[in-house]
Amino acid sequence: MASLKRSLDRDPLAASISSKVYVRSTKSGKVQKIVREVYLRRDIPCSSKLCQSCLQAAPRDAAGRPIPFVLSDKPAGTSKFPQGHYLVPDTNAFLNAMDLFEQASAFYDVVVLQVVLEEVRNRSLPLYNRLISLTKSEEKRFYVFFNEFRLETHVARLEGESVNDRNDRAVRKATKWYSEHLARTKAKKVPAVVMLSNDRDNLRKARDEGIPACSMSEYVKQLKDGDRLLDLIPESEEGEFTKEKRTGENLYPEYFTMSKMMTGVKAGLLHQGTFNVSPYNYLEGSIRVPAFPKSLIILGRENINRAIDGDLVVVEILPKDQWKSPSTKVIEEDAVTKNENPDAEVGEDFVSEKERKALQEEVKRTQSKTTEGHAQPTAKVVGVIKRNWRQYVGHIDQSSVSQSGQGRKQDTVFVIPMDKKIPKIRLRTRQVAELVGKRILVAIDAWDRGSRHPSGHFIRSLGELETKAAETEALLLEYDVQYRPFPKTVLDCLPQEGHGWKVPESTDDAGWRDRADLRDLLICSIDPIGCQDIDDALHSRPLPNGNVEVGVHIADVSHFVKPNNAMDMEASVRGTTVYLVDKRIDMLPMLLGTDLCSLKPYVERYAFSVIWELSPDADIVNVRFTKSVIKSREAFSYEQAQLRVDDASQQDELTLSIRTLLELSKKLKQRRIEAGALSLSSPEVKVQMESETSDPIDVKTKEHLATMSLVEEFMLLANTTVAAKIYDAFPQTAILRRHGAPPKTNFDELANQLKVKKGMELSIESSRALADSLDTCVDPKEPFFNTLIRIMATRCMMAAEYFCSGTQAYDDFRHYGLASEIYTHFTSPIRRYADLVAHRQLAAAIEYEPVHPSVRSRGRLEAVCKNINVRHRNAQLAGRASIAYYVGQSLRGKATEEDGFVIKIFSNGFVVLVPRFGIESLIRLRDIAEPEPEATFDAENYVLTTAGSREVRVELFQKVRVKVTDQKDEATGKRGVKMELIRTL
Amino acid sequence: MASTQTLLSPAELAYLHSSLSLTPPIRPDGRSSTQFRPLVAETGILPGTNGSARICFADGTEAIVGVKAEVERTKSALTTTEDETVHRLEGEFVEGLAGAGGNSAGNIDEEDNDGLEGQNEWVELSVEIPGYRDDDSGTVFLSALLTEALLADGNLTKKLRINTRFHWKLYLDILLISPPLSYPLPLLSLTTHLALLSTRLPRLKSEGDEDPFFDDDWAAAPYLYPRENGTSGKATLRPPISLLVMAVGNNIIFDPAKEELAVADVALAVSIGDGKDNNSNAMDTDTRNLRLLSVRTIDPPSRLTPPGVPNATNTAYGAAAGTTAQKQPEARAAESEAVEGVWKPPRGGAKPLVMAALVQKVLEKGGVTDEVLDALDAVELE
Repeated sequence: MASLKRSLDRDPLAASISSKVYVRSTKSGKVQKIVREVYLRRDIPCSSKLCQSCLQAAPRDAAGRPIPFVLSDKPAGTSKFPQGHYLVPDTNAFLNAMDLFEQASAFYDVVVLQVVLEEVRNRSLPLYNRLISLTKSEEKRFYVFFNEFRLETHVARLEGESVNDRNDRAVRKATKWYSEHLARTKAKKVPAVVMLSNDRDNLRKARDEGIPACSMSEYVKQLKDGDRLLDLIPESEEGEFTKEKRTGENLYPEYFTMSKMMTGVKAGLLHQGTFNVSPYNYLEGSIRVPAFPKSLIILGRENINRAIDGDLVVVEILPKDQWKSPSTKVIEEDAVTKNENPDAEVGEDFVSEKERKALQEEVKRTQSKTTEGHAQPTAKVVGVIKRNWRQYVGHIDQSSVSQSGQGRKQDTVFVIPMDKKIPKIRLRTRQVAELVGKRILVAIDAWDRGSRHPSGHFIRSLGELETKAAETEALLLEYDVQYRPFPKTVLDCLPQEGHGWKVPESTDDAGWRDRADLRDLLICSIDPIGCQDIDDALHSRPLPNGNVEVGVHIADVSHFVKPNNAMDMEASVRGTTVYLVDKRIDMLPMLLGTDLCSLKPYVERYAFSVIWELSPDADIVNVRFTKSVIKSREAFSYEQAQLRVDDASQQDELTLSIRTLLELSKKLKQRRIEAGALSLSSPEVKVQMESETSDPIDVKTKEHLATMSLVEEFMLLANTTVAAKIYDAFPQTAILRRHGAPPKTNFDELANQLKVKKGMELSIESSRALADSLDTCVDPKEPFFNTLIRIMATRCMMAAEYFCSGTQAYDDFRHYGLASEIYTHFTSPIRRYADLVAHRQLAAAIEYEPVHPSVRSRGRLEAVCKNINVRHRNAQLAGRASIAYYVGQSLRGKATEEDGFVIKIFSNGFVVLVPRFGIESLIRLRDIAEPEPEATFDAENYVLTTAGSREVRVELFQKVRVKVTDQKDEATGKRGVKMELIRTL
Repeated sequence: MASTQTLLSPAELAYLHSSLSLTPPIRPDGRSSTQFRPLVAETGILPGTNGSARICFADGTEAIVGVKAEVERTKSALTTTEDETVHRLEGEFVEGLAGAGGNSAGNIDEEDNDGLEGQNEWVELSVEIPGYRDDDSGTVFLSALLTEALLADGNLTKKLRINTRFHWKLYLDILLISPPLSYPLPLLSLTTHLALLSTRLPRLKSEGDEDPFFDDDWAAAPYLYPRENGTSGKATLRPPISLLVMAVGNNIIFDPAKEELAVADVALAVSIGDGKDNNSNAMDTDTRNLRLLSVRTIDPPSRLTPPGVPNATNTAYGAAAGTTAQKQPEARAAESEAVEGVWKPPRGGAKPLVMAALVQKVLEKGGVTDEVLDALDAVELE
């Protein structure tokens, strides 16, 4: 009987067939044995420009051209390999030190083995993506060598050999093959092929086999700027060699195994959610899980158990007698752990005495009055599903720098991240002297059980603290704003004519197809001063039947940005234009945003028009949508438009039409408010800059003009009208925007505060009721009080979000704030990607163009919505942070007295909002007087009374007089606004 | 199949029967009464399965068996309700919290022993015989027989238990790939035996009653029937085998060929387990502890063969032509007494004594079964 198995000895081709067997566990719980056959070949090139034989044998592309080789024929040398070298890193080298490989000064000509690439992908997807982009970059010369498919380098697993050992052997074999292969090229200088690994065993074996091999740090030391690069080697890596004497007991409890967590979560015993740190207390975190209406509180270092803000964690609920109410005390990490020594890890109490004291007072307070309603369930972190670590901007804590040793010794210091919610990061560096006082970018590598703080490594310096460039870049990095210039592929999508592009003269041109000629209409645009990207323009004219025709004309961006090209992709990633005080980071290239799309006056532009026939009472008689060509007569600023309207002597047609629009907009607004639209508020200020140096000179609160609400009303009308139209055309895939009704519990606190302090009722049954009750919250003595309550109410709201209509029920489409049944964004396609998608959908809905697959693929749209929601939020935060920074700068060296309001009160401090600057700041009791006064905190009545060194009584909503200065905290090097209490009013 | 007609004349049948009844019997292919037909076997022929084997008998019959395993949620009704599982999990977590570190899983196991037992549904077996429908009575009988043998001692299903909430479900696909030249039971049983011996299940990484989580390294997967020392040694416990034994007169004949079966007085399928019982001395590794698992009588095809007609009643040889007898010669002949040298199909059940002797012979130490198992041991696994 001939065996059915492949007979290895007789088959002449047997040597080139191998197989790979592994077990695959699927998400649904299936476990499968997978067998893959591997066909080995001899024509996979080494891709070295030195090699002629590979070039001849290598497979060619479809046109028969050889694929260009990657590795340089004159690779750089090091002190140990002066003849030049290629690098063959193993998996851990990439996993631990990806930042090193991304350096521009070194790490060229790298062979990425297939076995390594696959392992990197299994271990970390983000690192894999970074590695892939390295292999795509032309200048770095990274080449992926498919060693598993090349006959000579294929390694079959031996009996009893572990997977890791086999992979290490594969790396060694490939390295060896490379050097032997290159030796045959008879080049004058044959480059060395160096294996990079940190596995001591692997290095030893390599040396035994005569393969040049280096550990990461050995290699980096051979480089020119080795000292600088050494800092980029992460902690853990060093650890492998020095094998720390870390015998000290573990400070943190161990995490559960993944399967234990999954079982627990499925059984409902454990809960999974995203970990958030309280902005006022770094020892308190919260996590929202579906099983509880209120979020779970996680208190103390031990319970937080190494979770960092944003991580996806699994928590276990603590017994009910340990439930607590959220803290009323401010605990700041800087203050509590100020004088810690980063070097001393062992022999230190895990929970420091200070921290314990801070928390203990907390416990005392909650136990003294066990108000059942207040206690919130507490939990502890038992495991982390997914770390959400990014790169953090921070600066070195000066107090942690040891004074003694200067020079090139490695020091351990603390980095204080800009984001207060991120704990201090322990960093080892050789360049302390250079880095102190700079904004630096760091990455967290690990946080093991034995270490109080996470350890990280330095990536790069952004520049001196408080320089505009460094702070702006820091901001952009913190909020993940894509600020790199547009790549060439994107710029290639722009029209050939550049700024010379014009609307074609002949109406027979393809561009005119199905476009209405609206050049005769008296269209104008009204925008803020200095606006360059004009999205929208308006017109109105009386109709013979007594009605009014009103048109909203939006820049036709979708004409220039075609779906799925490089520019569209880039825009969908950026999601929105980000406005900083002194800078704008565009979503679309300048040429489109400020010229070709922008509805500039006196020139013809493509537009997408929504034209209504409105009755004199502003009821919609009918509506039509059309692509059009318009010619704006004038670009007004709000102020100019306002002056023109108010000036009775102006009786020209354009002014008349603006007046008509103004009348109609008032009616529209009235109707909206009757329907329950909220008028919310946030402290908005504008920073005025000196035009030459762009240094801030003054801060002004924004004024409100009637013309602003004119534009706003018609934009809202256009958005709602378009939303209904695209939903009608694409019930499953329309891109819409919703604003969920806030959960009742969000308002509990504010309603209670109002009731206790002012005897006012806040009813929240509907947006109408809320709007009405907000109107009644008036303090006759204090005109700002109403705005203050609106600001606070706004913070209780949910965030509005984009969504794809198929993912929600119709009832959930509601926009709570605008009291509109359906809503979308249509009017700013230059600066928002959602509007661009809405444009495409509307164009398809009116049959102007065929439906592009990307605007009706639900999966794609959901991904787009998810991304732009995040981007939108980040853009807002970045904008606010930028204003806050400049407000601080404008106060530099000045001290002003301002009125402020107490908006939040703790047992050891309170937060004051200064409307003049739109800033809020914490005033701690210890700042009020020296020594810190005794205080009694009445949590029921929101009153804080101090005694002793200074006697003050501070209560919520109270008006106070504060001195606002800028202050540089010498310990942290941070400049911030500082408020001092002068007196209560 | 059991009823496969053999195309032998009564005279041939009578000849076969008498030569098999001699002491020692003379078998058509010259084997001794306990000798098996030579076979060729190999395992691991189907890379995609958890275990597989193939056996070829010298008469040209050939079978392939593949074993596939799937993780399945154990129906809660038999062990615990879902609530109880949750309670148990809670217990485990609380224990973990207290840091007791004791083997909580062990405690649970002691509490309810029935949780350790496997269930018969965890093994699903399908037999395919070329040329027969899968609901053909013969095929169904064969698969019932093989299933019965596998499940008889509960050792197999016990091994399939992962924890109280999950188990492996085993699918055995038994394929005869040649025409059924002889009754395929021994062939299928031996192939199944080998396939199960070579079966490996992914290594479990999770603990206790957690959702199971497995090692993705196939090389680390342990054998379903563990080996003495790692992967190379003999299996300590083996899957059962079923042998076909027949009796002709006073002779017991193993592994009958098709022609032999056609004259069997009795045919039995005897299933034997290689039971290292709990109470047997574990040190004694050389001798097997064979245990009888089940016995099934097979309806031998001999019953359906046409009887020979003795000369005395054969009219062609001048027998008086009876009035009624003439019309129904077969019926009359069947009633007639046995005549030496004339084929008469066996009637009635097996004699208890013969049955006892058969079983005795099978379980004999150092006997045929040992021989077979030794031979199978010699088959290299994968």
